[in-house]
Amino acid sequence: MLSNHPGYKKIKSWLRSAKRKPFPFQERAWEKYLQGFNGLVNAPTGFGKTFSLFLAPLIESFGLKELPRQTSKNRLKLIWITPLRALGKDIGRAMIESLLELEMNWEVGIRNGDTTTAEKARQKRSMPEILIITPESMHLLLAQKGSSEIFEGLQCIVADEWHELLGSKRGVLVELAISRINGMKRKLNLPEARVWGISATIGNIEQALEVLVPDPKKPRTIVRAELEKKIEIHSILPDNLETLPWAGHLGLNMAEKLVPIINKSRTTLIFTNTRGQAEMWYQRMLQVDPDLAGLLAVHHGSIDNELRGWIEDALHSGALKAVICTSSLDLGVDFKPVDTVVQVGSPKGVARFLQRAGRSGHSPFETSVIYFMPTHALELVEAAAIKEAARNQNIEPREPVILSFDTLTQYLVTLAVGDGFDDAETFAEVQGTHAFRDILPEEWNWIMQFITSGGDTLGAYEEFKKVIRDTDGRWKVTSRMTAMRHRLHIGTIVSDAMLKVKFISGGYIGMVEETFISKLKPGDSFTLAGRILELAQVKDMTVLVRRSKKKKAISPSWNGGRLPLSSNLGSVLRKKYNEALQENHPDPELRFIYPLFLRQQRTSHVPKNDELLIELISNKEGFHLFAYPFEGRLVHEVLAALVAFRLSRLLPISFSIAMNDYGFELLSDQEIPFDEGIAYDVFSPKNLSEDITLSINSTEMARRKFRDIACISGLVFQGYPGKHVANRHLQSSAGLFFNVFADYDKHNLLLRQAYDEVFYDQLEEPRLAAALHRIQDSRIVITEPQSFTPLSFPIKVDSLRENMSSEELEQRVVRMTAEAQKEDEWK
Amino acid sequence: MEINCKGERIILDEERAIYLPDHGFLVLSDLHLGKSAHFRRAGVPVPATIGINDLSRLSFLLERYQPDCLLVTGDMFHHSLNSDIAHFADWRKQHSALRLILVKGNHDLLSDADYAALGIELHSPSFCLGPFCFIHDAPKCTEEELYPISGHIHPGITLQGKARQKLRFPCYYFGKDFAVLPAFSLFTGLSTIRQSAGDRSYAITPGKVVAV
Repeated sequence: MLSNHPGYKKIKSWLRSAKRKPFPFQERAWEKYLQGFNGLVNAPTGFGKTFSLFLAPLIESFGLKELPRQTSKNRLKLIWITPLRALGKDIGRAMIESLLELEMNWEVGIRNGDTTTAEKARQKRSMPEILIITPESMHLLLAQKGSSEIFEGLQCIVADEWHELLGSKRGVLVELAISRINGMKRKLNLPEARVWGISATIGNIEQALEVLVPDPKKPRTIVRAELEKKIEIHSILPDNLETLPWAGHLGLNMAEKLVPIINKSRTTLIFTNTRGQAEMWYQRMLQVDPDLAGLLAVHHGSIDNELRGWIEDALHSGALKAVICTSSLDLGVDFKPVDTVVQVGSPKGVARFLQRAGRSGHSPFETSVIYFMPTHALELVEAAAIKEAARNQNIEPREPVILSFDTLTQYLVTLAVGDGFDDAETFAEVQGTHAFRDILPEEWNWIMQFITSGGDTLGAYEEFKKVIRDTDGRWKVTSRMTAMRHRLHIGTIVSDAMLKVKFISGGYIGMVEETFISKLKPGDSFTLAGRILELAQVKDMTVLVRRSKKKKAISPSWNGGRLPLSSNLGSVLRKKYNEALQENHPDPELRFIYPLFLRQQRTSHVPKNDELLIELISNKEGFHLFAYPFEGRLVHEVLAALVAFRLSRLLPISFSIAMNDYGFELLSDQEIPFDEGIAYDVFSPKNLSEDITLSINSTEMARRKFRDIACISGLVFQGYPGKHVANRHLQSSAGLFFNVFADYDKHNLLLRQAYDEVFYDQLEEPRLAAALHRIQDSRIVITEPQSFTPLSFPIKVDSLRENMSSEELEQRVVRMTAEAQKEDEWK
Repeated sequence: MEINCKGERIILDEERAIYLPDHGFLVLSDLHLGKSAHFRRAGVPVPATIGINDLSRLSFLLERYQPDCLLVTGDMFHHSLNSDIAHFADWRKQHSALRLILVKGNHDLLSDADYAALGIELHSPSFCLGPFCFIHDAPKCTEEELYPISGHIHPGITLQGKARQKLRFPCYYFGKDFAVLPAFSLFTGLSTIRQSAGDRSYAITPGKVVAV
């Protein structure tokens, strides 16, 4: 029983002296831990989920009568895995404080990419009791010689923010590291480390536990906090509907509305969806309210670490009034002064929105306040949908990554760089993970061949040298060069070629993509970290700049900012369209844009959730077909190609394609043959896989996916931002490897993985099939409006965006809106 | 495709080499023999088949044009002697009568004896023929009267189609001041060139050379 446990009594009296009381879920977690369970703690932020697990091993050690003999090597008791470096600092601080108050002599160490070499060397000599670490650094630890003995005394591994890691290859890194550590302990007849996760609410929480603790024979449990975090969601409405454009993505003309919100709050976090958008909002806010100068900052992944650290410290101390940020501040760093959050534009998913809301009102029982700032009119419907989904806890699942052979390839070389591995033993461990439980022996053999002899084509891989069998029978990397290069490339986050940005006079500002800089000439200006900079020259992978006197400049567009709408949100959104034409409903957002829906209904039709709307519009540009399945842009991209392909089978016709999260457009210079019968045919789930393969250039998509795979599996060395690639003679591109393998080594498993990733992640085939089945059961409504409708307009604008800078685009949108309205009045 | 350059006929072959019919010279650049083995030695599994394929493409060109001389404008070898070079040595024996000239490039780091053993006539930094100066890296050319034909940068060109389609191809570049040949080896990347007024470029699309 927990209540009789001496360790529990000590913790309880410590808490009481600080006038605190444990939450019931924390006590449940401690009890289960002491009983030897593995598990997952599900609690909202701000309720002390860190303590629910960090204190558990402490309680246990207080209960021990005799402490096990400690050596400098086996001190390590608790490994705490965090997805973000910034989180490590924060959690470490909290742990050290508690340990001091408890008068415990446990040491807390942090290990990540920022850890100094001296500190790492110190840790190698003597590990701390608690190690806070990123998944990548975990693997770097495994790549150290003599790493096996440091885990001998380990009692627990905690994966913090497990929902963040779960859906990515970084989650696979965690799974593999756990399998190795516990495999080593089993072999030495030591008790295995208990594995616990901490996760926010997601749609597949049971599966999240299963991925972390895949062995059904082990005792495992989910501890739910059953505490509800109160969230207030407000939409920021413009004074009149005309102010809000029909399309666009910046929303800058509503900036004035933020000033009173910032003024009445202590500290506000303003989330945007892309880094470029964050930079633009920063400039805009300073124009709107110059008094914010010095009290406003911009924070995103391309800004120098030191500067980001400074901003985070200023957030802690309350020195900043507002920070404009991207997902870089999504995760659970607790900034106490933050009491308000603003989300600019659609967050695309319920989980992301709630997570961002949770950045405010961090303490237990405080209310989180989030404002939704629409960037165009239809996003108000999304606001209403998100509110409803949040109310019903309709939160997206995170699909775990399986069979990522690139990650496995990297992992095996990691082990070979460290103490080496025994293939039968490691195969059994790997098979025990969730990610690789379906791996076939021939797939394993292929990977072994790939890292030991190069490949199976006879004689084609002479002289190949990477992993070799040592005299003790273990597979090892003996070349120091190979080992060094591998250590530099451990991890699964592949970034674009980034260049450092520095002042000529000295001082590092951040990083920009090489492709962005290559479009600029010396003398051109751009913004970064909220500063307007003038490009002087690019030298040795460094962009040298000076301060610019200009008032305006372009913002770099970093890739990868555009997330698709989640399917949960899509389905609630369809429901909201259902309700949009009722004049009296509880959603103020829907009441506000009611005139726009009236207009949509007058010129075309407002789709109900059991309908698929198709609009056929002809104008001087050509013949347009718009369809609105509300399934997110990725699904629409494939669906558009599929429908175009099926139509072209009826009659030779070619299309250009555009899409957004709501629907897609096919544009042709000839009339599109279309009626209800054809509609059901081209939206049919029959022969789906075959038709997809024929309709999209899956080779081209797989080639793009292969870029990451080639980096992760060690084929391509990406080098470090701002650093020269170590060996010019070994430079090559992933695309080249893709061609080489496609031509000479068709059975290459990594090539197959690229195609699998295209079909499951990119094309989301299961989601597409589900959408087509739904459409078959829906009524298809075909209308022929005279001009662009409120629904079709944003898609049209989206297709223009690719070729225009943001400013040109805004002007164009204004003109197109005027045209659409004029045409309408004229009729 | 046949073009005229400085009064000379030049045939641009789709297999990434040019032929000068008036001199009987077949010219190509950046063969990068030994590159795949160099990668393999460093633990990156690249099949040797790719280098062997380059050699058979070369044999095919010799068959097609029956040249008196093969001229390589640099980067014939990638770094060092290795098993790929052994394949080349075998190939050289089969074509022992062919005169083979190499203008040294930055990757050509073998010893003079190694080149001699492979029957390669060395020239550095350039080899001049008619109105042309063949050199690895064009900006380093000091022959003011002559038109440099070079390699080194592995030129590629982006063609844009309708509906935002983009395709990249290796290309021949004949600029105002110098020309650049595409890399012959298929195991090479591309560096996209930008055209200025007065430049002529020829994209090597599958099976065909097209002026762009």
